Amino acid sequence: MGYEAYLDADPVIITAALTGGVHGKEANPNLPETPEEIGRAAGEVEAAGASVVHLHARKPNGERSFQTERFQEIDDAVRRHTDDIIIQHSTGGTGAPDDVRHQPLRTDPPPEMASLDMGPLNRYAHLTSGNTRALVDSLHAEMIDRGIKPELEVFNDGHMNEVEGLLDRRDLADPVYATLIFGPGTLTPPTPGNFLNAIDNLPDGALFNTLGFGRHQLPFPTMGLLFGGHVRVGLEDNVYYERGGLAESNARLVERVVRLADELGWPVASTAEAREILGLEEL
Amino acid sequence: MACPYLEYRKADGARSFDHERAYCAAAETFVQPMRADICNNRYDLDHGQHCEIFQAHSEGE
Repeated sequence: MGYEAYLDADPVIITAALTGGVHGKEANPNLPETPEEIGRAAGEVEAAGASVVHLHARKPNGERSFQTERFQEIDDAVRRHTDDIIIQHSTGGTGAPDDVRHQPLRTDPPPEMASLDMGPLNRYAHLTSGNTRALVDSLHAEMIDRGIKPELEVFNDGHMNEVEGLLDRRDLADPVYATLIFGPGTLTPPTPGNFLNAIDNLPDGALFNTLGFGRHQLPFPTMGLLFGGHVRVGLEDNVYYERGGLAESNARLVERVVRLADELGWPVASTAEAREILGLEEL
Repeated sequence: MACPYLEYRKADGARSFDHERAYCAAAETFVQPMRADICNNRYDLDHGQHCEIFQAHSEGE
């Protein structure tokens, strides 16, 4: 993938990360937290052009839930409000034990995709989200058993080495799909040079998704579009639409990246096209 | 036992919510949901070990 892909205008898959598991309504009151709110948001982003929703689960007070039952409620609400959007569950969970991290994979039906955090990530002053190789392998094994495609979350350059290691240890169906994440803390420093390095370091044939955290949510997906990648936006990663202005909804963030794609002459993938590109089964 | 600074409130004067949310009386603000797991000592988390806000306020006492 690269600039040639942009010139050939392959359809871009837009993922909407609707809710997350770190901040909540205290950061932006428009951030959906309940299953019904998340379901409605999914319908809105699908209408706006997203073909994938990335989901975390929460309790009624906004706090994190990893329970299969809570993910089930959310999936049911998403399916009520959408046509055929691709559901991608998060398996992330700083501080949560490994067995709990598996619970989001166990809905019925299982999600078509699920995230796989490729390595450690520091949080606050005293926490690290461990994401050991053993956990990565364990989660991947269950994803294979359940027919779930992994979305490899590459938080920094070292995690690209972890992707190569995973490919050495385990069989991943083509295409390998990696989300390249840029921002503060343990993330890849958000510079254009690091973006180019990251896509150069992708395994041969891999597709990439572009995630810019916070204020980087607009420039990095723009670069992702220009270099033949796919993009992720949403309130999980960024609560602002502009400096000092909270985003009204996830849909507004999707609409903006759709406008960018339109201006660049880049077709936005339908969910059917997204399934084909990602190697998912047709519905 | 949960952090002694943890409260659950629906409002703080500036904002209000449908459900009571985790509020840190030391930081005088609602906390992120991820941090609330630390406040509540869920999983392997412990406010005494993992919360810099608790530690700073405990040292100051």
